Amino acid sequence: MPHRLGPMQTLPSPMRRFAENETVDYCIVGVGSAGGVLIQRLARAGFRVVALEAGPFWDTEKDWVSDEKSSHELYWNDLRITGGTHPLALGSNNSGKGVGGGSVHWAAFAPRFHPSDFRVYTEDGVGADWPISYWDLKPYYELLEREIPIAGPAWFPWGDPHGHPYGPHPLGGVGDVLVRGCTRLGIRSVAGGPVAILSASHGDRPHCIYRGFCLQGCKVGAKASTLITHVPDAITHGAEIRAHSMASRISLCDDGRVDGVVYIDREGNERFQKSRAIIVAGYAIETPRLLLNSACPGHRHGLANSSGTVGKYLMAQAGNVVAGRFDQLIRLYKAPPAHALSEEFYETDKRRGFARGFAVQTVGPLPVAFAKQMIAAMGAWGWGLRSVMMDYNHWATIGVLGEILPWEDNRVELAEEKDQYGLRVAKVTFNLHNNDKKLIEFGKKKVMEIMWAAGAKQVVQESRFAHLVGAARMGNDPATSVVDKFGRSHDIPNLFICDGSTLPTQGSANPGLTIQALAARTADYLIKHGDAIFFSNHRDLAEPGIRYDLSPPYTRFKGIPRIA
Amino acid sequence: MSRKSFPFRSTGGELRDLDQPGYYPGYSTLAQQKSWDDATRKAVTERVEKTPPIRFFSEEEAALLGAVIDRVMPQDDRSEARTIPVLLVIDERLFKNALNGFRYENMPPDQEAYRIGIKAIDEMARSRFKQHFVDLTVHRQELILKSLHDGNPDPENAIWRRMPVHRFWALLMEDCVTAYYAHPWAWDEIGFGGPAYPRGYMRLENGLPEPWEKPEQRYDWNAPVDSVSVLDKEGAPPEHGSLHGHGGSH
Repeated sequence: MPHRLGPMQTLPSPMRRFAENETVDYCIVGVGSAGGVLIQRLARAGFRVVALEAGPFWDTEKDWVSDEKSSHELYWNDLRITGGTHPLALGSNNSGKGVGGGSVHWAAFAPRFHPSDFRVYTEDGVGADWPISYWDLKPYYELLEREIPIAGPAWFPWGDPHGHPYGPHPLGGVGDVLVRGCTRLGIRSVAGGPVAILSASHGDRPHCIYRGFCLQGCKVGAKASTLITHVPDAITHGAEIRAHSMASRISLCDDGRVDGVVYIDREGNERFQKSRAIIVAGYAIETPRLLLNSACPGHRHGLANSSGTVGKYLMAQAGNVVAGRFDQLIRLYKAPPAHALSEEFYETDKRRGFARGFAVQTVGPLPVAFAKQMIAAMGAWGWGLRSVMMDYNHWATIGVLGEILPWEDNRVELAEEKDQYGLRVAKVTFNLHNNDKKLIEFGKKKVMEIMWAAGAKQVVQESRFAHLVGAARMGNDPATSVVDKFGRSHDIPNLFICDGSTLPTQGSANPGLTIQALAARTADYLIKHGDAIFFSNHRDLAEPGIRYDLSPPYTRFKGIPRIA
Repeated sequence: MSRKSFPFRSTGGELRDLDQPGYYPGYSTLAQQKSWDDATRKAVTERVEKTPPIRFFSEEEAALLGAVIDRVMPQDDRSEARTIPVLLVIDERLFKNALNGFRYENMPPDQEAYRIGIKAIDEMARSRFKQHFVDLTVHRQELILKSLHDGNPDPENAIWRRMPVHRFWALLMEDCVTAYYAHPWAWDEIGFGGPAYPRGYMRLENGLPEPWEKPEQRYDWNAPVDSVSVLDKEGAPPEHGSLHGHGGSH
């Protein structure tokens, strides 16, 4: 049987296999949102690339199901320790394992960051500025919106207003509630996107069937994951993806450059992949963990950590969920969880008494997730739980997505405990600060107001967090950041980081699209500099110029509407 | 299973030995399985047909946790043949030591948390009512568990000084709902559409049912009048035990 990627697409076969002792140009650790885009670009440009992925290489027909409980394996379920004043739930909440990474189970909201997100310190005196501006990233947003591609309104009014290449999705019950509540309060909202879900078929991927199992991995192939958008093209162009390969250590040479990755294969054997340059793309916990676990003479506190910032400035977004009970039926399990939103409160408004803001977005918990929300939001148990769950179809859920600022004390460290590979596990500490608390309080109340305005008869809310970024941030100053604006570590010229961990701030936008746009930009930089990356210590900080000839098939001739 | 029936005196009539509680009589997700994909059909039907044996807990522990589950995830209204396995599912997870990706820094590993958690519950029963938890009346069992739910164990027990009671409560409740609401009989009870690939949904707006779904038929379903586990009138406590959600829905 061919390896299936959705009902129409198959994995190109055979995949190239590099010999055991072969030196490759790039070894990429992690094939998620960033790793998938990177390996595709580098392979197309003719580099010899191997990617190590800790999890399986999914066959969507065999491995994925329309079922909450049996989708457990999509997440990073290995042990991590979580603490601080507001400990983050990890696992299913914010991590992926397997080719495609978190993009396999993201809800697929795909808004861009706003121009202000790149200048938070300049504008508000908090957080940090990015070493790049929105305008540096804009062409990559536009390109990735066509590659993925994104469905959404022709006119998205916030930040840098823009349109989307695929049309918006029809509204489900929850989107209807969001739009109705916002409309009654005079709050602008958009519906049917922006989401990385097909509203019409695209190449060998069919359009959405509105079954609501986005977070369980899209068997339909309508929701984008790098597994189906970029990985097949990478394989076609000669890349190798080694699944079930857990990177344990990056190896450093006497000349101060890295020369390969030690990893543990499926059978538990330790192996070494020699590589001329290395890109770590393991996301906000595994990336700093690998760097810290790679400590060696000269890098006592972890690789690329002369600044001491590896693991620090970790961010999650406030993800409070407000649930409203309606007399009429909603049936919130239909349609993608992600399908309507408002960014009316995204920017700083001094009158609110805190910096930055939040987005308002639909969420669509299936029964197990909804029951967990009722346990937290209502203290439901026993007969109370049974009876509130019997009303499942009467509830609608809307989420706050709030910007929590980067704080030094929110961090990833190594715990003493070890995992099944004998590697020290990550310890994650998360504390809310004053600005964060005020923002969450305001956001929560505003969304409850929207829910009441939509006609809910009862409104409750649950505190939670969503997404993870930071912990290996980019910046111009090697004393306060880990990598430069192209993801190259300040300390080691042939070691790069490219994933959500390099974000200096996070805005109130879901990070997936931005992570992929940054990956495409890093790839362009690497491709432009060619072999110099492998030999030279010279750091050229000029913009590489965007390459439009390296996209996966079906990208060209897709227009983005521009309606002034 | 140590199921004990309540005196059911709800206005909707006596609710017991039901094959299908809830407001969607005649609705069956399993009846739709011919429209599911093979992998999903296998996962869901195995859940119904194959129940694992107890392998992690001792016989005594299983009886004790079973009695706890009967109160926190009660099924007295369901017929014996339509009782959804919860204890067996938790036992299997712990036997395999299948983790959920994290542990709170002040919590012991899940296996130990369960062992000492139910031990504390039994000690509380003996100290307060001079009987093992399994032998208590339903009401007294609920009183003990309600005190854990409220975050104020009554009576106090040394174990809650080394394991935060609200974290244990969340662990227990989340495992219970993961077993119960993953079962197709629970989907029938709440009117959830269940697996929908490759067919999908067509009727997205206004809460309309698909042609194969059933419309809601409400009646006055009441929990047993003397249970303390019904929802508080005023609804939610503002920040229930500083719990943070684990649902993962953004």
